[in-house]
Amino acid sequence: MRATVWSGRNSVQVENVPDPRILNDRDAIVKITSTAICGSDLHLYDGYIPTMKRGDVLGHEFMGEVVEVGKGVGNLRVGDRVVVPFPIACGDCWQCKHERYSACENSNPNAGLAEKLFGHPTCGIFGYSHLTGGYAGGQAEYARVPFADVGPIKIEDDLTDEQVLFLSDILPTGYFGADLCDIKGGECIAVFGAGPVGQFAIASAVMLGAERVIAIDAYQYRLDMALNKAGATDAINFDEDPDIVEQLKLLTGGRGPDAVIDAVGMEATHGHGALHTMERVKQATRQETERGHALRDAILACRPGGIVSVIGVYGGLMDKFPAGALMNKALQLRAGQAPVQKYLRPLYERIRDGDIDPSFVVTHRLPLDTAPDGYETFKHKQDECVKVVLKP
Amino acid sequence: MPFPPRPVDATLHGVVDYTAGAFHLTVFPKLAGIEGTRSARQIRTAAAIHAGYSTLTDYPLGIVKLLPYQAHLAIDAVGAVALAALPFITGQYKKGPREWVPNVGVGLFELMSLSISDPTGRGDYHGNVDKVRSANMEDPHRKIYDGGPAVRSAARGAPA
Amino acid sequence: MKGKAAITVYRSREEVERLWRDSAYRPKYIGDADAAVTFNDAPGDRGTEIHVDLERTGRGGRLGDVVQKVVGAEPLAKVKDDLRRFKQHVETGVISRSDGTPEGESAERKLKQRPAQPLDEAELQKAGI
Repeated sequence: MRATVWSGRNSVQVENVPDPRILNDRDAIVKITSTAICGSDLHLYDGYIPTMKRGDVLGHEFMGEVVEVGKGVGNLRVGDRVVVPFPIACGDCWQCKHERYSACENSNPNAGLAEKLFGHPTCGIFGYSHLTGGYAGGQAEYARVPFADVGPIKIEDDLTDEQVLFLSDILPTGYFGADLCDIKGGECIAVFGAGPVGQFAIASAVMLGAERVIAIDAYQYRLDMALNKAGATDAINFDEDPDIVEQLKLLTGGRGPDAVIDAVGMEATHGHGALHTMERVKQATRQETERGHALRDAILACRPGGIVSVIGVYGGLMDKFPAGALMNKALQLRAGQAPVQKYLRPLYERIRDGDIDPSFVVTHRLPLDTAPDGYETFKHKQDECVKVVLKP
Repeated sequence: MPFPPRPVDATLHGVVDYTAGAFHLTVFPKLAGIEGTRSARQIRTAAAIHAGYSTLTDYPLGIVKLLPYQAHLAIDAVGAVALAALPFITGQYKKGPREWVPNVGVGLFELMSLSISDPTGRGDYHGNVDKVRSANMEDPHRKIYDGGPAVRSAARGAPA
Repeated sequence: MKGKAAITVYRSREEVERLWRDSAYRPKYIGDADAAVTFNDAPGDRGTEIHVDLERTGRGGRLGDVVQKVVGAEPLAKVKDDLRRFKQHVETGVISRSDGTPEGESAERKLKQRPAQPLDEAELQKAGI
């Protein structure tokens, strides 16, 4: 089958690889109808995530039709249309039973590797380096889905692929970010990053009842999408004025936002040229692995007693973490890879009821074979690119 | 398996090529107190050649992108060994440490920097945006600017 | 602490001890090394803790060389592999396999991962599937 494989820094190729097979009784094989490139795939592309091997199939946002099921999968049949969550979860361990699916204790067969970096292993993930198990990903024609009786959700309505595809990752991730903010109605929420995850974090804050939702980015077209489509009430373009903390104070009457969502992660850009250059040099020479501008600003900007919700992907260690601000302002720092399985049903219902049409983020729909150029366009934010969907 | 991956990517390698090259070509011999020796002339020549083929390399800081990046790295390695071995081939090492230590030092520096360079990837690759534009089944500008909101607010009540 | 490892399995102690003795589940390396294994109730509803001590045999003696010979260069890593595979087998019914490591958690595979793409016929045969 054709698949997008990692072939080094700044390099992916679409190549022929073997078709996947059932390896365990609880597996299923899915024929993929739509898949997407994620912002976190760019960390793999840019060479920041260790344990990549040439030939690794990428992609963790995919959906399609079930073509084969293992003996142990009772809830799916051949022909079912499913969306597959990116965290692989067994459903049986203590973490899964408590709905913390992204902390699954059993789904990562390279637990020994992950343990070295994180202290404990976490769940397996499709197409996201050997640290998360070395599973082949979904930017391909077919994928093997482990624990298919736990993860995939059946789509039984007349909705297009683009309307439900993002249940796999970015919609639950954005929603999880907003959920962590404990929105009860009337809050001011700031969202760092107006990429696809940021767009859904904004949309989720809006759906949950926030009164003001402020989008922060350096690209005007992404801020425009947030204002026009995602329901943001305000936007800060820090390319024009890099002092984000001050602008957030002005937008909130001096109080600061009640909660801040970091939907940026380890490859943050920043308006302050010198600080950004220094961090890039340090990151290039691996003296630190993360560029932490967004997280730093989020902690400084949040009002005392507020919540900082981190859904941007980080992989290693960060310098200059504002521990003083965190502690003295009595902030709550909440983070995680989204436990997608927990949010699938409620979000599917919201899509069905018309509360949100997630397809608004799709600016590019391309054939799978254009993946290498698609990655570059997405990475460099050219052609007003927000989200790239690939069709195998 | 790369854990952690080699830190020096093609861009950083290019930066080092030009700055170290310029340094070795100009002030290094004076600073090392070897001005006037054969060793100094050899290092200057090597630096000039290195900067030369760097401009012809297919990587982010190349001017005419002819030479594949992996080939560039191979030449770096061969050149480093050659530079280090040269004093012993010509016999100039007999004239004292000033005639061979700098060669070996610069050669070792080059080999060390190669050992932390990441040879994978595609040097300087920029995607073909026009190809993406023509293959795109969506219109990005309209997606962003046409139509109303795609979300219904709990607070504001009115449907999308 | 060098020769010790522990894992918690989300099942009652009776069930864990029974399955540990069942030949279909019994971990190979820990069994061959005859290391000391103890089972404790984990706090709250967390299940059962399994503790393995390589420095003592199941019969209360000291091992050292015997362990090295039987288990190979990285005894503790292999013990941890065994414990994880046992936990997966008991809790989920399957051993987690990926394309990078089709045999499941394996210390030897850590440095020699397959690329994360599906296996071809020959490799499937070799991996015993």
